[in-house]
Amino acid sequence: MTRVRRFFRTYIPFSRAGVQELIAYRVNFLCFLIGEIMSAFIMFFVWKAVFNSTGEKAFMGFTMEDMVVYLFISFLTGYLTYSDGAFSIGEEIVDGSIAMRMIKPCSFDMCFLFQELGNRLISIAMIFVPIVAGVEIYRYVITGVLRFDIRFFLLYLLSLVFAYLISFYFNVCYGFMAFFFKNLWGTSLIKETLVSFLSGAVIPLAFLPKGLALVLNFLPFASLSYTPVMIYMGMYSVSQIIYSLLLQLFWLIVMYLLSKLVWRSAVKRLSVQGG
Amino acid sequence: MENMIYVENLRKEFKKIIKEPGLKGSFKALFKPHREIVTAVDGISFEVRKGEILGFIGPNGAGKSTVIKMLTGILTPTSGVCRINGKIPQDDRKNYVREIGVVFGQRTQLWWDLALRETYAVLKEIYEVPDDRYHQRMAFLNEVLELDSFITSPVRTLSLGQRMRADIAASLLHSPKVLFLDEPTIGLDVVVKENIRSAIRKINEEEGTTVILTTHDLSDIELLCERIVMIDKGRKVFDGGLSKLKGEFGQMRTFSFELQNAEDIRKLGYHDHFKLSDDDLSLSVSGKSVSVKFNTDKVKVEDIISYTLSSVHIKDMEIRDVEIEEIIKRLYKREVSV
Amino acid sequence: MLRYLRLHRIFISQYLKRLMEYKTDFLLGAIGLLIAQALGVLFLNIIFSAIPALEGYTFEEVLFIYGFSLIPKSLDHLFFDNLWMVGYSIIRKGDFDKYLTRPINSLYYVIVERFCVDAFGEMLTCVLLLIYSVPKLSLPFYWYTIPLLLVVIVFATMIYTSLKIITSAISFWTKASGHITHMLYMTNDFAKYPVTIYNKAVQAVITYVIPFAFTAYFPASYFLTGRDPLFCIGGTVVAGTALFLLAVFVWNRGLKAYESAGS
Repeated sequence: MTRVRRFFRTYIPFSRAGVQELIAYRVNFLCFLIGEIMSAFIMFFVWKAVFNSTGEKAFMGFTMEDMVVYLFISFLTGYLTYSDGAFSIGEEIVDGSIAMRMIKPCSFDMCFLFQELGNRLISIAMIFVPIVAGVEIYRYVITGVLRFDIRFFLLYLLSLVFAYLISFYFNVCYGFMAFFFKNLWGTSLIKETLVSFLSGAVIPLAFLPKGLALVLNFLPFASLSYTPVMIYMGMYSVSQIIYSLLLQLFWLIVMYLLSKLVWRSAVKRLSVQGG
Repeated sequence: MENMIYVENLRKEFKKIIKEPGLKGSFKALFKPHREIVTAVDGISFEVRKGEILGFIGPNGAGKSTVIKMLTGILTPTSGVCRINGKIPQDDRKNYVREIGVVFGQRTQLWWDLALRETYAVLKEIYEVPDDRYHQRMAFLNEVLELDSFITSPVRTLSLGQRMRADIAASLLHSPKVLFLDEPTIGLDVVVKENIRSAIRKINEEEGTTVILTTHDLSDIELLCERIVMIDKGRKVFDGGLSKLKGEFGQMRTFSFELQNAEDIRKLGYHDHFKLSDDDLSLSVSGKSVSVKFNTDKVKVEDIISYTLSSVHIKDMEIRDVEIEEIIKRLYKREVSV
Repeated sequence: MLRYLRLHRIFISQYLKRLMEYKTDFLLGAIGLLIAQALGVLFLNIIFSAIPALEGYTFEEVLFIYGFSLIPKSLDHLFFDNLWMVGYSIIRKGDFDKYLTRPINSLYYVIVERFCVDAFGEMLTCVLLLIYSVPKLSLPFYWYTIPLLLVVIVFATMIYTSLKIITSAISFWTKASGHITHMLYMTNDFAKYPVTIYNKAVQAVITYVIPFAFTAYFPASYFLTGRDPLFCIGGTVVAGTALFLLAVFVWNRGLKAYESAGS
């Protein structure tokens, strides 16, 4: 018990710093959020036009209401699981200040994790409730029935936590790539576009050709966004849910181990470079 | 002689958001940011003659850089006038800056990734320096600042001293009438500092360039400037030559001597004998050598000497004026009233 | 004017020299943008595999509009990208001082200093889309089509650049405004699709408030149909000019408010 307490006493200050950082840059944060949510609205209109053009109620198994829920919940999921610790790591590697982290008596990834959690806390407070409420009200108004299911919602939260941690460790691995590419702008653009596509954030994986969808469903990217969103929407059966949560756990472990591995080799490289 | 720079009642105010410390303060700032107006420069006036080197000094945050930035047209004054060579910087900035050169010691104005030579080629175009004039100028700057050894290297690979020389050369390419140097010797070693000082002196002598320089290194001032303007908290606290500074504030003297017997130090009780505080008299002892620093307004030189001679046996003795550095230190600490 | 053009050429050539030093960075940036656009096209492809037309627009027509939207966007990106840095760091760090100590227009100087080759990723997508779609569409062609196209490109690019100037200039007052530029820039994605798919409010905003519709949909639909040149082409010219004048005005006001950074 005391160990747990000591653990939190060590890392909570990082979360507090994360909160303060977010408040200090509140306008940036808000503008960024509005900019991002704009793309969800563009997609909303595009899909509306698609549904108008088909003349059918469902498009590849999705109704317009499903599509709206999908768009906004996957926006929310993507936003909450987005991890930019990688960028800080990369920047610190490039300018050499990573050395300062190594002399501190705390675990390197935990510092980043708690700082980001503090940051996320405010985002959650500000966008989580409005988006979920908005989506559910929309669904209720259109269909006339309340479709919100607390069991799915709780499973969604669990899946969301997994998704965030996978994203976090994936990005930690990516951040260490700065050792190889000195500049991160180009690669991060490539990474982000690919991830957003492969994770189903742009288009539901079910809409893709069968074989491709099957592969993408298994890859870790689906665990980042598609899986939690599908669970939220109640699109998965119980066995599918169990399977996909286990798959998420599997990828989480893989990413965690991978990040440790990369960290170890990065430290070696760091001492070789003498930086 | 005519005045190159004329500054009258210059003022600059900034708005500043004050944040209270801690998480609570952050939350407060989120809803109700507390704004305050800070006066960085509070009614400063001075003049600089053509061809003069003026040392512009003051403690950190005194407003030196703000004044320089107003004089160079970067900042717009809240009120007041500054005229350089008959021009008001903010009126026609583009034409005005052709007549001045600016170096900010803290940050380079060169292109980080370009070879130094390329940087000068770009500046040549920006300032429209004709070809023959450019070659002549580069030869001169090369001679004064010794750029040859690194002129083909990218700016980011230069050492701090090389970079500063490169920056000064860049500011002089278009033969400006006035040169503004904001901390040109910051972070440099003694040899490079001397190098840069002699370059500044040479340019001033050969071309009659008026120079304003800010610095924290007082040897820059002693070796280069005929005149000093000192500001503190946005106000001018001193304006005049070095000798005036010494005359006005130089009432401190140092009396140093060597004791024949180290234990004799116990016999000396200056503070009690003259009833002086530490501000007016201070003693430093190392082994047999002793130096007494005292205020001649409070106690006469003869009295100090005769008291010493009557109390102990001494070998050598010497009386010195206090160094300029000491005076300025006291001024910064506001020990000297103006 | 001539001097400014010559300076621009010098800056670009200096930039290209620098480019050689950081080849991989630029290549990766361009590839990133290419992939981003290509995935957008793939998305359209998947949609059109299930429907014959989107609100009356065929696949080729939508691709034409999409490709057209990338012309001004990539040009703005290529030539005027440094404005981003104004809002993100140049002013906050006090680095803007440097631009003010030179005898050239500060806006011009800051703009030409960087030349962003990454934009070739977008340009390539744009060219491919137009090469694919144009032959399949029977576009009306007159002797003035090409000159008109050039005019439209100039003014459409001005719309992009002016909006960036305005949002970057905000940082003269607020120290940093990159995020505002970002927010506004995200709206340009609205222009990639036919504006008829949006509701009236959104249409009004992207036509009259943040006129991104004039950077792509309106001019593109003129070139598609030959209808309504006064509104489609004239609107682009008017919007580009008005925004540019506003941008210069805001910038100059901002210069007066510039506070630099503590020494």
